[in-house]
Amino acid sequence: MTTNIAPKKTAVHPNEPMQPNWAEITDIQPETAGIATFWLRFKDPSVRAGYSFKPGQFNMLYLPGYGESAISISSDPEKPEMIGHSIRITGNVTKNIARLRVGDEIGIRGPFGTYWPIDRYKGADLVIGTGGIGLPPLRPIIYYAMHHREDYNRVIVLYGARTPEDLQFKDEYASWEEASIETMITVDRADEKWQGQIGVVPILFYHLRMDPRNSVVLTCGPEIMIRFVVYEALARRVPTDRIFVSLERNMKCGIGQCGHCQLGPFFICKDGPVFSFKQLEPYYNVEDL
Amino acid sequence: MSEISLEVGSTVAITKDQFDKLLQSLQKMGYLTIGPKILDDALTYSPISALADLPQGYISEQDAGSYRLVNTGHTRYFDITPGAKTWKEFLFPPRTTLFTVKRNGNGWVVEKEDYQGKPYALIGVRACELAAIHIQDKVFLRKDCSDPIYQANRQAAFILSVDCLHPGGTCFCHSMGTGPQNSVGFDINITELNDVFLVKIGSEAGRMVIGELQFTPASAFLMQAAKLGLDEACNLMGRELLNPHKLPSILLDNLDHPQWENVAKRCLSCASCTQVCPTCFCWDIHEKPDLTNSSSQRVRVWDSCFNPDYSYIAGGNTRPNTMSRYRQWLTHKFASWHHQFEVIGCVGCGRCITWCPAGIDITEETAAIAMETVE
Amino acid sequence: MGSDHEELRAALKTIPWFQEIDIKHFDSLCGIAFVKEVEAGHELFREGDKEDFLYIVLEGRVAVELFVPGRGRMRIFTGEPMDVIGWSSVTPVIRQRTASARAVLPGRLVAIDAKQLRQLCDQDHDLGYIVMRRLANVVASRVLITRLQLLDIFAHPVQEGKYE
Repeated sequence: MTTNIAPKKTAVHPNEPMQPNWAEITDIQPETAGIATFWLRFKDPSVRAGYSFKPGQFNMLYLPGYGESAISISSDPEKPEMIGHSIRITGNVTKNIARLRVGDEIGIRGPFGTYWPIDRYKGADLVIGTGGIGLPPLRPIIYYAMHHREDYNRVIVLYGARTPEDLQFKDEYASWEEASIETMITVDRADEKWQGQIGVVPILFYHLRMDPRNSVVLTCGPEIMIRFVVYEALARRVPTDRIFVSLERNMKCGIGQCGHCQLGPFFICKDGPVFSFKQLEPYYNVEDL
Repeated sequence: MSEISLEVGSTVAITKDQFDKLLQSLQKMGYLTIGPKILDDALTYSPISALADLPQGYISEQDAGSYRLVNTGHTRYFDITPGAKTWKEFLFPPRTTLFTVKRNGNGWVVEKEDYQGKPYALIGVRACELAAIHIQDKVFLRKDCSDPIYQANRQAAFILSVDCLHPGGTCFCHSMGTGPQNSVGFDINITELNDVFLVKIGSEAGRMVIGELQFTPASAFLMQAAKLGLDEACNLMGRELLNPHKLPSILLDNLDHPQWENVAKRCLSCASCTQVCPTCFCWDIHEKPDLTNSSSQRVRVWDSCFNPDYSYIAGGNTRPNTMSRYRQWLTHKFASWHHQFEVIGCVGCGRCITWCPAGIDITEETAAIAMETVE
Repeated sequence: MGSDHEELRAALKTIPWFQEIDIKHFDSLCGIAFVKEVEAGHELFREGDKEDFLYIVLEGRVAVELFVPGRGRMRIFTGEPMDVIGWSSVTPVIRQRTASARAVLPGRLVAIDAKQLRQLCDQDHDLGYIVMRRLANVVASRVLITRLQLLDIFAHPVQEGKYE
């Protein structure tokens, strides 16, 4: 069904897929309100050596006594020894992960899911359109593009948040610009201290002159934002098989066996979370699917 | 000992009084023999030790939302069509502890459960049920990852299947191509005629069991009687589902069909259908810490897409009403399942029709959508 | 005046609106417009002012602000190059500005006299139709942006005290 299934290099035993491997928290980086990036390192060196991930994949993080939560990996895929997860407090598990300290242990199963297939689009213009907490799952692409900048033509980040205080990874924007990544930032509202743009992420497309024949659009975030970013991409005639979307559903197993994460015929954990819009098109506008 | 050679694939006849010995052979081999038994007016799958434990003379009268056991006085043991129980609970237990974690200094250590497959001999598995087991094999035993519990149970299980000559009021295995006859995947298959069991050997284990009995060759007369019975059974099905192979595309093309709202008015979202369905496989994980949080168990339990919590994500429910949940169940069973596992998820056993308190009949619901669709 | 006029014509020709109208209408509009340079922080207009000019940003950034007592000046929109600021002056309902506009970065804008624009549209309905259609697009775009801002899509999904 999809061609962006990652080659196997996982910390998941094929016959014991629900058992976690243990990792130590080596650093906790506060981001914006209610969000922090947890840096994890597998305790067992052989597990560490056998693990790698591709941009867009996620891990199931396990906190004994509370449960598991599916968290996208937001760090550099070429440095898989330390895995970064930007975690927002949204429920019981994440609330208690937020109480942990450096040195504490978390269980990891993963990586799971399909990845952003930018390796198939060398020479293309990458247009990343996202907002809020949608940026962490896309950041691995930015790292990748910075390491392999000559593989792509233009690399553009369109990013928005509610207010300037909610912008993720603010102190990295300058280094992205330096790497010739065009970075356009907007917020929904601000006071007069904000010198940047105010508006919504889809509108950033209006200030972009993009070539639909060479563009690949990658988006992640609240589903309504995804919908409007996709509309803008379609209005500019980007073909549906070059628009990629990352979705989220309730996940319990990560291996397509518990049934929870289904959307139409797809398991979001196994056939996604990254989909081409072409795959999703028949199902995307069906309410409550 | 009889003179003819017994091979995998042979069919022989045994008299019914040999069946007790068959069960004893299985028990001697270490199996726990489980079969159909009436307990408190309900048909269950329980431990049996003799043919007399089986519901001789009974049939079940089934219709949408209706189930009655009736003793008609006939002499057969396996005529009764399935009740609410399925064989699923023996291979995919409703509640299992996957593992326990224990505190170890600053961290944790996993105490693995050793999955010893329980050696069940499943006696009286009907064609629809055997098809359901094969479907669950595709779900739980995948090349890329498989469930160790299901795998252990499945490898340890012995399957004695039964051809179905007297289908019931909600049966439609014939429409689904899953019955009434068993063809592969059993250790022993029996066809019950009035005086004898015709026995087909499906595996080496089956051959060993039958080898200890007194058997005679299956005469052409008996084989003909069996064949006639099975052919007739195809016409005795209580329900019919036309063109199931067309449903994957029809259902996924009609996600906004008004029939979904129509059925939602009747559906109670009670999840009974998913409990009695032999192929439904959804599960949930419960975390069970002790009082001091120094150890915790991960327990896998059956779940249902009708459960309101099933589709909860941060801040909301992606299927917040009965309509969306019913649509999910039916489109998964007949359409998405085919995309995921290359078979349709329904075996035509009719349990969901019988055990639905609102009497919803999936053969009618799918027909309502298929009928209005222009080919 | 001559070189200002040339500068104006050249500036207008960069704006997509003006690239697709006939020369007669272009000349009429040139007659009621001028190019304005602004420093960062320059206030174009304030809430309550008369609605006299329609602005099109050529370079720079202009913020639309509303003063909320207790919260201060809230920025609700910024206009980038080619964006229109102050569109309501062309079809005024409330006869004064309902928001303030301030340059965030140093820039250049085209200012068009709103009252004269209305008169031109009344006199020449062909031009009127073109202007109103363009304005309708601007308004539609602003409504969409406002809707998405209103939905507060980046708000935290889980509220305190709710069932988790």
